Amino acid sequence: MTLLQACEWLGSSWLGTSIRTSRFGFAVIEMAHLLALALFGATLLIPALHSFGVIFKGSPPGAIARDLRTARLASLGVMIVSGILLFADGPLRYYGNAAFRVKLLLIAAAVLTGSLSRFMGEAKFAALLPLTLWLSAGVAGRVIGVL
Amino acid sequence: MRTLKSKSVLIAGLLALGLTAGIKVGAHHSFAAEFDGDKPVRLVGTITKIEWTNPHSYFYLDVKNSQGVVASWGCEAGNPGALSRRGWQRGDIKIGDTLIVDGFLAKDGSHLIDARRVTLPDGRIVYGGTPGDGGPEDTQSPPKP
Amino acid sequence: MTFVQLACQWLADTAIGTRIRESDNLFSVIETVHVLGIIVIAGTIAIVDLRILGVLLTRLSIDAVLAPLVKIAWLGFAVMASSGLLLFWSEADKLYSNPAFRLKMLLLLVAGANQWAFHWSHDSRMPAGNAPNTVPRWARFAAALSLLLWTGIIVLGRAIAYL
Repeated sequence: MTLLQACEWLGSSWLGTSIRTSRFGFAVIEMAHLLALALFGATLLIPALHSFGVIFKGSPPGAIARDLRTARLASLGVMIVSGILLFADGPLRYYGNAAFRVKLLLIAAAVLTGSLSRFMGEAKFAALLPLTLWLSAGVAGRVIGVL
Repeated sequence: MRTLKSKSVLIAGLLALGLTAGIKVGAHHSFAAEFDGDKPVRLVGTITKIEWTNPHSYFYLDVKNSQGVVASWGCEAGNPGALSRRGWQRGDIKIGDTLIVDGFLAKDGSHLIDARRVTLPDGRIVYGGTPGDGGPEDTQSPPKP
Repeated sequence: MTFVQLACQWLADTAIGTRIRESDNLFSVIETVHVLGIIVIAGTIAIVDLRILGVLLTRLSIDAVLAPLVKIAWLGFAVMASSGLLLFWSEADKLYSNPAFRLKMLLLLVAGANQWAFHWSHDSRMPAGNAPNTVPRWARFAAALSLLLWTGIIVLGRAIAYL
């Protein structure tokens, strides 16, 4: 099965069809995506500011990132699930969209660097790299609608 | 606000408010609630007004029906940036031009369609929708009536 | 037309308002800043609220969490207010009569009042170095209310585009 065929299958599946024909579905899922984005972004931003010594100066390196780990993973989970559902609404529409493809690559890179960040020596780099990749993914998501 | 009862009333009221806000959103989201994917429409008419604006562009056509009665119809299209990237620039259409617009009818029955496919005066055909709005696939064109 | 309606129409018709509204990319850029900016204001406020409710960052006292994060939230407010003003400027006439916009502005006022009331009470009545189980009920109520209001504000902000 090619990627294109998989997209076609998903779009015409029960899941894709229910979301696409539902009056409320797409909007509610989009809202969840946005609310999770607000919290998820903050769980990246605040540890990044800590790593640069801007805030929580009394806390040791990586401590704030650790403190916010559960919130970070929970909100990321909501973003990924809602993102997949939004995609299922009309996979073919996104399949050909350059900004969407770039967004997926950035997400993959962000998840990878995020999970490897504990092995990065320099706390600043470990915090800033995923944050930058996720922000870029967010911008790419916005560009989808203007291509 | 000290008593548990009055706090509960307030919380219940706010929850209701939040849910109402959510329902309002759902009733009008992007394509699926505003336009009917089962009601394809083809309009042929002369342009009377152009709004080349964010977040959506609009152009209005005077359309003559089979009885010869002229009615004004609105067509909703994507934002200027998106349209220009498909080769449709601001100056490509003028008031008085004839357009053929294929789209889907607004659910509230008003004279509004979303412009899925537009045939410009010079014969070019452009896609008028906004990617990611939840509407019919880019690869699907509305059936010709 | 009421005076406010006329003023909104005038604002939208100005050169700046028109420039933004008819732009190829400027509107989208301002809108993207506004959307991603919810991270700085609402995301940060959510973390403060969750701390007050004892859900996270419990290693630190409430005072230790409040001080830096409130400053970040104010920075977020500056970003949201300026980008929001520009967006409003470009379509003031349409937004004026948009029910989602009106309700969003109302909720912003209520959220601001809630925040002010919390800080006023906190400064005079909360002992320093709170452990989660000594957080007074009014503080937890204010935090829960704040989460609810900001959820509504974000939802309504998105709803503007579709009403």
